[in-house]
Amino acid sequence: MRDPLPDHGEELIHLMHDSEARSDVPADSVTQHFAAVSAGTVKAKKKGLTIGAWIAVGWMTLLILAAILAPVLPIPDPINDANPLKAAQGPTLNHIFGLDGNGRDVFSRIIWGARNSLFIAFAAVITGFIIGGALGLISGYFKGRVGGVLGALTDILLAFPQLVLALAVVSFLGRTVFNVTMALAIVSIPILARITRASTLSWSERDFVTAARAQGAGHIRTMLREILPNVLPAMLSIALLGIAVAIVAEASLSLVGAGVKPDVTTWGNVIFSGQAYLREAPSMVLFPSMVIFFTVYALNYLGDVLRATFDVRESAL
Amino acid sequence: MSAESFAESSATTPSSDAPLLVVNNLKTYFKTDRGLVRAVDGVSFTLERGRTLGVVGESGSGKTVLARSIMGLLPKRDVERSGSVKFEGVELVGADNSLMAQYWGDQMAMVFQDPMTSLNPVMRVGKQITEGLRQHLDISKDHANQTALALLSSVGIPEPERRLRQYPHEMSGGMRQRVMIAIAIACGPKLLFADEPTTALDVTVQAQILDLLQTQQRDRYMAMILVTHDLGVVAGRTDEIAVMYAGKIVEKAPTKVLFSNLRHPYTEALLSSIPKISDPSHTRLKTIGGRPPNLINPPTGCKFSPRCAYATDKCRTEEPPLSAPDSDGHQFSCWFPVELSAKQTSGVR
Amino acid sequence: MLRTFTLKFLRLVLVVLVVTFITFGLTKLQPGDPVSKIIPFGTAQQKAALTQDLGLNEPVYQQYGKWLGNFLQGDFGKYYDSKQSVNTVIKTSLPVSLELMLYAQFFALLIAIPLGVTTAYRAGSKYDRGANATMFALLALPNFVVALLLAIYVGAKWQLLPTQSNVIPFPLNPLDNWTYMLMPVVALTLGQIAVYMRLLRSDMIATLQEDFITTAKAKGIPTRRILWRHALRPSSLTLLTVAGLNVGALIGGAIVVENVFGVPGLGKRITEAILAKQYPALQSYVAIIAILYVTVNFAIDILYSVLDPRIRNARSVA
Repeated sequence: MRDPLPDHGEELIHLMHDSEARSDVPADSVTQHFAAVSAGTVKAKKKGLTIGAWIAVGWMTLLILAAILAPVLPIPDPINDANPLKAAQGPTLNHIFGLDGNGRDVFSRIIWGARNSLFIAFAAVITGFIIGGALGLISGYFKGRVGGVLGALTDILLAFPQLVLALAVVSFLGRTVFNVTMALAIVSIPILARITRASTLSWSERDFVTAARAQGAGHIRTMLREILPNVLPAMLSIALLGIAVAIVAEASLSLVGAGVKPDVTTWGNVIFSGQAYLREAPSMVLFPSMVIFFTVYALNYLGDVLRATFDVRESAL
Repeated sequence: MSAESFAESSATTPSSDAPLLVVNNLKTYFKTDRGLVRAVDGVSFTLERGRTLGVVGESGSGKTVLARSIMGLLPKRDVERSGSVKFEGVELVGADNSLMAQYWGDQMAMVFQDPMTSLNPVMRVGKQITEGLRQHLDISKDHANQTALALLSSVGIPEPERRLRQYPHEMSGGMRQRVMIAIAIACGPKLLFADEPTTALDVTVQAQILDLLQTQQRDRYMAMILVTHDLGVVAGRTDEIAVMYAGKIVEKAPTKVLFSNLRHPYTEALLSSIPKISDPSHTRLKTIGGRPPNLINPPTGCKFSPRCAYATDKCRTEEPPLSAPDSDGHQFSCWFPVELSAKQTSGVR
Repeated sequence: MLRTFTLKFLRLVLVVLVVTFITFGLTKLQPGDPVSKIIPFGTAQQKAALTQDLGLNEPVYQQYGKWLGNFLQGDFGKYYDSKQSVNTVIKTSLPVSLELMLYAQFFALLIAIPLGVTTAYRAGSKYDRGANATMFALLALPNFVVALLLAIYVGAKWQLLPTQSNVIPFPLNPLDNWTYMLMPVVALTLGQIAVYMRLLRSDMIATLQEDFITTAKAKGIPTRRILWRHALRPSSLTLLTVAGLNVGALIGGAIVVENVFGVPGLGKRITEAILAKQYPALQSYVAIIAILYVTVNFAIDILYSVLDPRIRNARSVA
């Protein structure tokens, strides 16, 4: 496997970048999650979506619609409609998910939470998708030194527990929606960069890429028109799972008190505020937990469907 | 057949009078998405102790499946196996795996095609030999190791002590196939299957491995079924040859008879596709025209008719039965058999 | 062999250095300086003196060098305010976290391996499909949800186990230690089982198609032995690597679970240090986590070549 190393620069890159020994093994929690999610599927499924996929699509549509329409929906304000006299109530007809410690409607808070949590997760992963994708495409396409250095950098970023990284970034930068989004984006950049790089490496060897180059297509055109469309399915299915992981990460951050400040309603904050009332009103924790579970399940499922449909192989990751 | 009836029959007839192996109308079908694959479609033959049978055919003729089906080494699911396989009078079709495991390795063993993938890459060679020994023979670890050592030297592996401690990847292909043979003969089976044992090997070692199989077979008085696509391989090495096409035996005869007096056009085609030393160099190799048979939707009539130079309408509508053995023990299934020494036939060996 | 391992080792050292330097740099970027945090009502001179005292006005690389020198000599620094030594905090909290993660890893593998092996053997059966669907659902169950469910039902409702735990060190009273550890361990284990089981299952299914499995079968080796002795080892390489890399996820999980249950482990101490902006302490915690993670993976690399002689050979050749 190992070629003799021509010079010290290469040696250093090699020293830092060690992916070839275990290139078929997931190197980070998302890829690992991806591998675990997709490990059960036999091969590419039949064309068309299964019932399960429709349910997952339905759930996500409902959730996203609710999140977008939150301001116009006839629901109480998640922050200001507080009623301390009715704090920590279980579900009632008026408040189907109950009231939280400040007497605020949990159902409304979950919908507003979806608005913020989904925004953070999507924005983080989209940022990671664009930056990580670009880095991966470039480093996979221009093998040589550029690729080596970029690969080494992603490996180093990946060689660190991701929640600790996100925790550190948020605590250093401050607990705002923007900073939490940035922290999760920073975590997802190397993951997407690595997937894109690995996938690009294998696609850029193909004949049609060489043919495009031979016909005089420029580097950028070749990358965008020939390679990107082929790499995209792998990137997308990882990104779907990345959103799921980001949702969980946002909630985890809030839960350890390092997420977005409590005056912004996120799923993590809804759960965090319920933690003090486990005995009196477990519904405050149960309902948002359930919603997170369904959402992650749906995203996992869709990621797997996407992978199976486009026959993304784990080894390409 | 259920496990009980197996036990019943095994209780009644395991006798040394019965022929070693009697295969009767054995069928093996695989269920696939595209339909039923009739890989073995009614094969019958008898093999006596210490005798050798060559099974010859193209890839897709069902010869490998036949060997695995006789031995019972088939996947659990989506397989239909019917007919009868009697080993020393004991019916094996329908026996479950735990009962078969008493036969496997002990009574019958198999040398597989590709020694590169047939040995466990993460287990020492010695362990892979002694494992079977200790499974079937009640012997100590030391004794098993000694036996393994003797086996390795008997299959012609130099420095057997060192080799025992090695892993398969540290050996060459030929060496590994010798190890496979050692594993197969370890417990002294009465029947040895060799499934294309030389196909994956370098030409230079093919003859060595075949010779080794032959001497081991003789020395140990094993019966052997040698499966190959190459008539040349079985030519001097087996007592009998069965030629398979589309899951059926189309011609079967003692080796000498077959080569001197072949009757089936397919056998003829197989034989003429072997390059001969007497040919001038750069002679174009003869190939059999057309594609190997489709085992899902086989042609009507004689399965070989679409590719047969002599085929008539009768061939395309009516399937010829396998004839009863003549005085030489020669059987074939053809409406218009090739005439005696009509074409070039001899010349191999 | 030696050369590859030396290279690998150097690479790991490099990772630790880069990671600690990045975190060190981050502490310098954050708004609000630690001095105002420590003495919010101090005069400008007092602040300047403290800044001088803590070495905060030196260039970043010098501060980093100083920290690194101390760290290497086993001095992990002090908390700003209480002047409590980070060493003592680590001494009490690290074993708790290690114990938690060790149990979680152990039980996850203990359950996942037999499940993976048996479902692979019976792939497609009802048992397999059931186990697989359950595991797929477990993958979507964040560990904090499990932790909260346990805290609500087992802890608060049924009061079977203590929640706000005050972990008794194992040597003092193993039974107490276990009752306190049980829920955090379960919360941390469940998700890992799913990851390990599904990866092992798919690898096992592939291995069971291999020719050498047929060879073993043809030798008359019983199924059970084929599964455990022949198929498991070549199938466990991915699992092993994932188990090593998973230490990262495990650390993240431990931080969350320790916070939910109030387990006084390193994860809890890290979040406390982050919230209180105790940067020298945080810096050392991060370094210790990086070292832990990197060491586990180095060990896995070595174990890898033990499990697969082909790799051992390839490396010695290289």
